[in-house]
Amino acid sequence: MWGKGILTGMRITMRNMLRGPITVKYPYERLEIPERARWAVAPKYDGEGKPKCTACMACVRACPDHILDLEFTTREDKSKHIERYSYEIGACMMCGLCVEACPFDAIEMSHDYELARLDPAQLTYDLLADVDAAPVKRARPATAPKAEAAPDEPASTEAAPAEAAPADPVGKEATDE
Amino acid sequence: MTGEIGSDACFTDRIEPGVDELVVNVGPSHPSTHGVCRVIVHLDGEVVTKAEPVIGYLHRGIEKMAENRTYLQVVPLTDRLDYVGSMYANWAYCRTVERLAGIQVPERAEYLRVIVCEMQRIASHMMSLGSAAADTGAATMFIYAFDQREKVIEAFEELCGARLTYNYVRPGGVSFEIPEGWTERVLQFCRDHRDGLELMDRLFFGNVITRDRMKHVGVLSPEDAVAWGASGPVARGSGVNWDLRKHDPYSVYPRFDFDVPTGSNGDCYDRARVRLFECYESCRIIEQAISQMQPGPIRTPGLPRLLAPRPGDAYDHIESARGALGVYLVSDGSVRPYRMKVRSPAFCNLALLPLLAEGHMLSDLVVILGSLDPVFGEVDR
Ligand code: SF4
Ligand code: SF4
Repeated sequence: MWGKGILTGMRITMRNMLRGPITVKYPYERLEIPERARWAVAPKYDGEGKPKCTACMACVRACPDHILDLEFTTREDKSKHIERYSYEIGACMMCGLCVEACPFDAIEMSHDYELARLDPAQLTYDLLADVDAAPVKRARPATAPKAEAAPDEPASTEAAPAEAAPADPVGKEATDE
Repeated sequence: MTGEIGSDACFTDRIEPGVDELVVNVGPSHPSTHGVCRVIVHLDGEVVTKAEPVIGYLHRGIEKMAENRTYLQVVPLTDRLDYVGSMYANWAYCRTVERLAGIQVPERAEYLRVIVCEMQRIASHMMSLGSAAADTGAATMFIYAFDQREKVIEAFEELCGARLTYNYVRPGGVSFEIPEGWTERVLQFCRDHRDGLELMDRLFFGNVITRDRMKHVGVLSPEDAVAWGASGPVARGSGVNWDLRKHDPYSVYPRFDFDVPTGSNGDCYDRARVRLFECYESCRIIEQAISQMQPGPIRTPGLPRLLAPRPGDAYDHIESARGALGVYLVSDGSVRPYRMKVRSPAFCNLALLPLLAEGHMLSDLVVILGSLDPVFGEVDR
């Protein structure tokens, strides 16, 4: 009776001894993270390295934690200049609502997961600073503003699932304040 | 002194003169308590004469915070209620919002919700069984259970990008369509999971040490289970056949063929074993849901991003891994909830601890607490 139990136990031990490790030695090896993984928010740039953000403020309003802050100035010709687009990663819960709210596909949940900082002050940083906002190319229909893919790059690959969100007829203009 | 808030910080006032007992503080962050729970235990020798759970160490005021956020912005907060089973809180909240605003959810979204919630049940029960095993010293079972849970969590990460705080179920649908090949991987997981469950059943529940530690410990009678408002595996372990999926069917659950496992003795062993059998049933539901699911939209079309339901209130509940999880919402017609109240099963089940622990050894206390499977994010909110 005892012999059988010990043999059964040893069989499991042997089986686990002979298979390879399932853990990885983290800083030296990294697991691949899935495409949709949500980590720090990062700005996206167009082909020429210019930010795609148009300073429309939809992301700022969408954030449940109010940790996005965008300051911009509007010039004579209605073009906007982003002074500062700050982001407090220490309070971000990586919910992705800002990315889903952005009608211009200008931010993304990046795969940057090494977010430890030595100084708490570094937990708030600027995503964009002192850059010109992208012009809103498509003239918005006067009645129903619709959230669609970025006007200059309709076939975006990454944000495709987020685009499955319904186009909102009420729109982001309908703030409650 | 006694009776004042905060007076329990000092033990001397809890000792009655002439009574030969020892007052021991377990927690708030004792390694074998689940979450941040403190239990003040009165001991006569090694026998518990009284156990009082002290809660509130994880209180974040989520119900209050919800009043300052729009309906969509509350969804990530509900992730943080029950951090072992975030999908449930997401779903319970979204069902209430949908009831409040009169939103019809597309069928595919309902199927996706059922699939993720049944997977969540597996993950949550694996966590519960694994930690119950670790409490009784069965380290191997702990690793096996967490191995199974990890697979579910990896599937979730692939689906919605987060491992624990999913933010997946949204008012009016779900946030992401399933990635390519995901259903095949989930079906493969279900097949592997059954083998894993069988292994765990033999390894853990067949083990004589487990039986000695868990059988006839913390016996809850069916009458007490009903009277104290217990739900989920805690009530079903006592033989109370009550499962909202069957007895108040919601979503597409009536279309599935599944059983509700119940125990008979109401002890820790039965409660844990009910969880194991529920995982088999969850696998069955997932397989049926995947085979019945049709392509279609995953979000109600034409839904405004800022919901502003008509003034009124609504309550809806679902069967979470811990029991009946309900959310009550009051709307005053603005874009923010006027009041949110969460009926959390973990809280109701934890209230049974004084009843169950009395008369048992101190070392049984952690087993009883583990068998109630409280998650303190949900208890304290
Ligand atoms: S991910 Fe969520 S919390 Fe973080 S900035 Fe975006 S909306 Fe705010
Ligand atoms: S374009 Fe996108 S990132 Fe820029 S302000 Fe608008 S929502 Fe935010």
